[in-house]
Amino acid sequence: MHSDSIATNASNMPMASSNAKDFAKKKRMNRSAKLKQWKLDARREQWLSQVGIDTVKNKGRKEESTGRGIDGPLTQVGRRVRAMEKLEIRSRGEEENDGGSIHHDSDSKSPLNSPMSHTGSVLGGNDSGTNFTGSSSSSRSSSSSSSGGCCSGSMSEEDEDGEDGCLDDWEAVADALAATDEKQQLHANSLDTASEDKNVARFDSQPVSSIDISKAKPGAGASVDRTSVNCRAWRPDDAFRPQSLPNLSKQYSFPMNSDRHYACGASVWVCKNAASTPKPCPICYEDLDFTDSSFLPCSCGFRLCLFCHKRILEEDGRCPGCRKQYNYDPVEGEATLDGGSLIYRLTRSCSMITRS
Amino acid sequence: MVDLARVQKELQECNRDVEVSGIRVSPKADSLTNLVGTIPGPLGTPYEGGTFKIDITLPDGYPFEPPKMRFATKVWHPNISSQSGAICLDILKDQWSPALTLKTALLSVQALLSAPEPDDPQDAVVAQQYIREQNTFVNTARYWTEAFAKTSSLGVEEKVQKLVEMGFPEDIVRSTLEAVGGDENLALEKLCSA
Repeated sequence: MHSDSIATNASNMPMASSNAKDFAKKKRMNRSAKLKQWKLDARREQWLSQVGIDTVKNKGRKEESTGRGIDGPLTQVGRRVRAMEKLEIRSRGEEENDGGSIHHDSDSKSPLNSPMSHTGSVLGGNDSGTNFTGSSSSSRSSSSSSSGGCCSGSMSEEDEDGEDGCLDDWEAVADALAATDEKQQLHANSLDTASEDKNVARFDSQPVSSIDISKAKPGAGASVDRTSVNCRAWRPDDAFRPQSLPNLSKQYSFPMNSDRHYACGASVWVCKNAASTPKPCPICYEDLDFTDSSFLPCSCGFRLCLFCHKRILEEDGRCPGCRKQYNYDPVEGEATLDGGSLIYRLTRSCSMITRS
Repeated sequence: MVDLARVQKELQECNRDVEVSGIRVSPKADSLTNLVGTIPGPLGTPYEGGTFKIDITLPDGYPFEPPKMRFATKVWHPNISSQSGAICLDILKDQWSPALTLKTALLSVQALLSAPEPDDPQDAVVAQQYIREQNTFVNTARYWTEAFAKTSSLGVEEKVQKLVEMGFPEDIVRSTLEAVGGDENLALEKLCSA
C-alpha cells in the first residue's frame, strides 16, 4: 500500500532515507524531551517577538490576524481570504528579498496545519499554504497546538539540534535570514510535498486522510519524511488530482470495514501512551496491538480489538462494556471538524512513538 | 466456532481462585464446549451449604453468544425450573455481553439464588409460593438443598452403601453411579426408572 511505495522510493533516494534515519535516531534520543519541546517553544516565542519588533512588523500583525481566524472557526473562511491576500503580497516581497524559494516551500506547508479549514481546501496548495504561517505561529504563541504546530515542532527540533539560525528560519517561516544549507532545503522541500500529500488526501475525504496518517504512523520518525519523498512523484498536479486518490482510498478503506465507522470515530483513534504495555482484548484474550490499543470505539472507554469489534458490529452492534449501541452515523458537519482534530491527534501520536 | 483459546484461558483463570470464589468450571469430557460449573449456595439463604452443579453448553458463537446454562442439581427457586433446571436470567439471554465470562455468569447465577425475582418467574408454582407463603417457600428450598445439593460431598463408598441399603444390587449401583458421574440423586432416579 502506501507505505510500501514509500519504502521503495526512500531506498531510491539514499540521501533522504539516511536523513530520515538520522532524524529517527535523534528523536529517539530526545525521548524524554517534552521538556525540551517546551524550551524550544519558548525559544520560538522569543524569536517571534524579536522578529515582530525588529524586522517585519507588518507580518507579525498579519500572523496574529490569521491566528485569530483559526480561533473562531465560523469566521475563519472570511478571514482566511483576507489573510491570504495579505500574505500573497508578503510572499512576493520575500521573493524580492532573497529568492524566496524556501519561503514558498514553507508556506505551502500550511494544509497540514489547517485542519478546520476543510471547506477552504479547494484552494491550491500554495494558497491554502498561506494559512500556515498564521496558524502555526498562533499555535506557538498561544501554546495551543494545531496539527501543523505539533508536526513542525518535532521537525524543527531535528533540523537544528545545534544551530538556532535554522530553527528561526524554518520556524517562523520567516523572510530574511538567508543561511540555508542543503539539508535544510531538502527538508523543506520534503515537508512541502508532505503537506501537499495530506492536502490532496483531504480533498478526497476526511476519513481517508486520517487513515493515511495512521498508516504512516508506525513508520516512526522517518515516516513523515518518507511520505514526502513518495509524494514527490505526483506532486506537480497534486492540488487538482483527487482522481488518483479514490484508488488509494479504496485500498485504505478495504480492511477497515466501513468508512462511516471511521468518520464516527472522530475521537476513536486517540493515542494512548499505554501502547507500550500490551493488554489482552477482553473478548478474545489476544494481545492488543498498537492499532487496537489506540482504538476507542465507545465513550464508555471499553477497549477491544478490531476483530472483535467487527464481529460485534455484524451482530447486535452493542458495546460489550456498557451495552449501548455503537454510534454509526456521524453528523456531517461534525465529521469535518472532528476529522481535523483527528489529524491533529495522529500527528501527535506520531511524535510520541518516535520518542517512546 | 467456539473460541477455544478464550475458553481455556477462562478455565485457567476461574480455577485459579476457586478458594475465594468457590466457583469451579471443569470440562465434562474432552470437548471444551460441554462444561460443568459448580457454585456454592449463598450464605444466609435457604441454599446455604449446598453445592449446585450447572450444565454449561457453549454455542458456536461463544463468546458473542451467551453460554447455555442449566441447573443439573434440583433447586427450589422462582427463577429456576424445578423440573428442567432452566434458568431465567437476563444476562444468559438478551443482556449477555461478550465481556462477561463463564465465571461472571456463574457469579450472576449465584446472585440470583440470593435475590429471587418472582415477578419474572421461570417456575410459576415456586413463584406463587414465594409470593404467598414465604415460610413454606423457605422450608421447601432448604429441604431441596439438603436433599439434592449436599450429597455430592459424600464419598463414593458412602453413596454406594446408601443406595444398597435402599435395596439395589451393589454392582448395578456402582455402574449406575459411574454412569451419572457420581451424582447420588441422579443414580437413584435412574435406578428407580430402570
